Amino acid sequence: MKILVVEDNERMARFVTKGLKEAGHTTDHAENGRDGLFLAVSERYDVIIMDRMLPGNIDGLTIIDALRKADNPTPILILSALGDVDERIKGLRAGGDDYLTKPFAFGELLARIDGLSRRRRQDAAQTALEVGDLRIDLLGRKVWRGARAIQLQPREFKLLEYLVRHAGQVVTRTMLLENVWDYHFDPETNVVDVHISKLRQKIDADEERQLLRTVRNAGYMISAEPPPVAGAG
Amino acid sequence: MTRVIRSSAVTLATGYVLLAFTALVLFAAPLLYAWQETIKDFRFEILQEDSQRLVHVFDLRGAAGLKAFIDERVGMQIAGERMLLLSDAAGRPLAGNLPAWPQSIPAHAGSYTLPVTLDGRHTMVAMVLATLPGGCRLLVGRDVDRFAPIERRFWYGLAGAVAVLTVAGLIGALLIRRALLARVQSTQQTVAAIMRGDLSHRLKVRSSGDELDTLAQTINRLLEQIEQLVHGIANVSNSIAHDLRTPLAELRSRLEELSLTRPPLQETFAEIDAAVADVDGVIRIFNALLRLAEIDAGLRRSNFVETDLAELVAKAVEFYLPAAELKGLSLCLRDHGPTGARCDAVLLAQAINNLIDNALKFVAPGGHIELEVARLAQGLVAVTVADDGPGIPEADRPRAAQRFFRGDASRGTPGVGLGLSLVEAIARLHGGSLELADNHPGLIARMIIERGAAAAAAPEQQRSGSVVEPVT
Repeated sequence: MKILVVEDNERMARFVTKGLKEAGHTTDHAENGRDGLFLAVSERYDVIIMDRMLPGNIDGLTIIDALRKADNPTPILILSALGDVDERIKGLRAGGDDYLTKPFAFGELLARIDGLSRRRRQDAAQTALEVGDLRIDLLGRKVWRGARAIQLQPREFKLLEYLVRHAGQVVTRTMLLENVWDYHFDPETNVVDVHISKLRQKIDADEERQLLRTVRNAGYMISAEPPPVAGAG
Repeated sequence: MTRVIRSSAVTLATGYVLLAFTALVLFAAPLLYAWQETIKDFRFEILQEDSQRLVHVFDLRGAAGLKAFIDERVGMQIAGERMLLLSDAAGRPLAGNLPAWPQSIPAHAGSYTLPVTLDGRHTMVAMVLATLPGGCRLLVGRDVDRFAPIERRFWYGLAGAVAVLTVAGLIGALLIRRALLARVQSTQQTVAAIMRGDLSHRLKVRSSGDELDTLAQTINRLLEQIEQLVHGIANVSNSIAHDLRTPLAELRSRLEELSLTRPPLQETFAEIDAAVADVDGVIRIFNALLRLAEIDAGLRRSNFVETDLAELVAKAVEFYLPAAELKGLSLCLRDHGPTGARCDAVLLAQAINNLIDNALKFVAPGGHIELEVARLAQGLVAVTVADDGPGIPEADRPRAAQRFFRGDASRGTPGVGLGLSLVEAIARLHGGSLELADNHPGLIARMIIERGAAAAAAPEQQRSGSVVEPVT
């Protein structure tokens, strides 16, 4: 993917662009609002990572506002040290698609970028989802693994749906908390892990191929592909 | 500031004096005018009558008769201030108390008010002139200046009133200025003391309850809030300094050791991972503290929306149920149906989750956790989390909600000791409190909040408990 990073802190920008390149993306970097806005309107990007507080007169939200007014639909992830719920709401209202607070884990950023690029491609009118031999009927709210029907509780269904919609990409605990439960804080106990293992029990138990797996230091991924042997992270 | 007060008090007083003066003039001027006109009319009427009577005497008795009549009157001193003069056609005086026709008197008949010199004395005379048959002329007049003293007295009175008004106004202005200055100066001194850093000072409030007192009371309330906020910030700073130092020291020693010993690569990576986890821990404390400070500052009231508390609790229970089952605990909810409240849903969800989180941590396998949402009197609602775990010893309960307090039972469990203080702060933001009580055995944590606008609306029908009947 081609990603624009608008970030004034040199070290942070280097950390982000280096990590993105290692993950196979190409990046452009702008270190102030003026350059950021110029690049954002003159080039085509798959995702824009936007810092909020930038040197000069143009801050991140102003750029987002300008892009949205020009009907530019590029997904934008706001990366900011302003972490209040209010600030977050302000960022999303301005037209940002996702909001990540500094400091952050790089895995979280990567997972969210994947999620953003996926979101655009997704067809809202989809009625069924599929990963390997796992099938989800979104209208009837039914799940099958091969020929076996799986009984899921509503929240488990929502959890599985979110994972499958992001099949093949890492989904972090925070993303699950935010999108499945709408919780914007970190519980101290590993409650999400327990939900995942319960779900795994239902879909992967007694199956030869495990679909739902844990990605160390990052989160979870549902995928029909077998995990890479080395360097899985 | 002094100059402003002075000028404002004096301007005010001057304004009032001018206003009173204008009112006085508006009152006096028409009066004076009417008075003068009436006197004048009345005077000419009398002179006219007199003149006609004399003309009548002339008609009856002729010039000689009239002369005798006038002489008689002058002799009797009836005339007094009255002036009478009868002259022949050539203007020579025949009778009367004037030695000659005064100069500057017009020749034809009519009514006049003219300056006349009599015995070397200048005076104003109102007169009626009549021409008699045969060319004789008659003058009947009256000295107007005799009224001047009365008129002068009127002006003196007016001037006196104006003087009194001015003096009273100026004295009033000075008094107001002194009173204002005294109070403003005391306020100024108090504020200066506060600006020097002593927030305990308050403005003096007198018992009079006037506008300045109301203002002083409002400012005092403002000062109280500022003091609380400043103390809150100081507390948070202290807590941060105190409790971030430990994990930061650990992190530092870990990294320093790594740099000094340079262990094999595999071990180095493990140490780096551990260091990142340390940093995450620091960040978590940091976030919790920021959230607490934000709540304490009361900045989040703008996010209050109508929310069903029962739904929030049910969702939290559902969220924690698998974790509870995994630990062998029962987690259940006494459902009494929807319970609306006007609140910050994000914060309340966090508070409820913190309470369940706490219970999950401390209750031993086989234990029970029970939640309940119950409406109380006076527009309050309580979210109760009751467990049969170790509880909190009575001596520790008042301190349990303090920042970074960790009881004996919490040793060896994860957490930084901010959970209950967060719940307490959230309850306080919602006009309520956090109560901790003994469950014989175990802990009852009861978060009470105001229902806000929802309480004013018609109360929804509470379903009877689907698990057990409500206790309250």
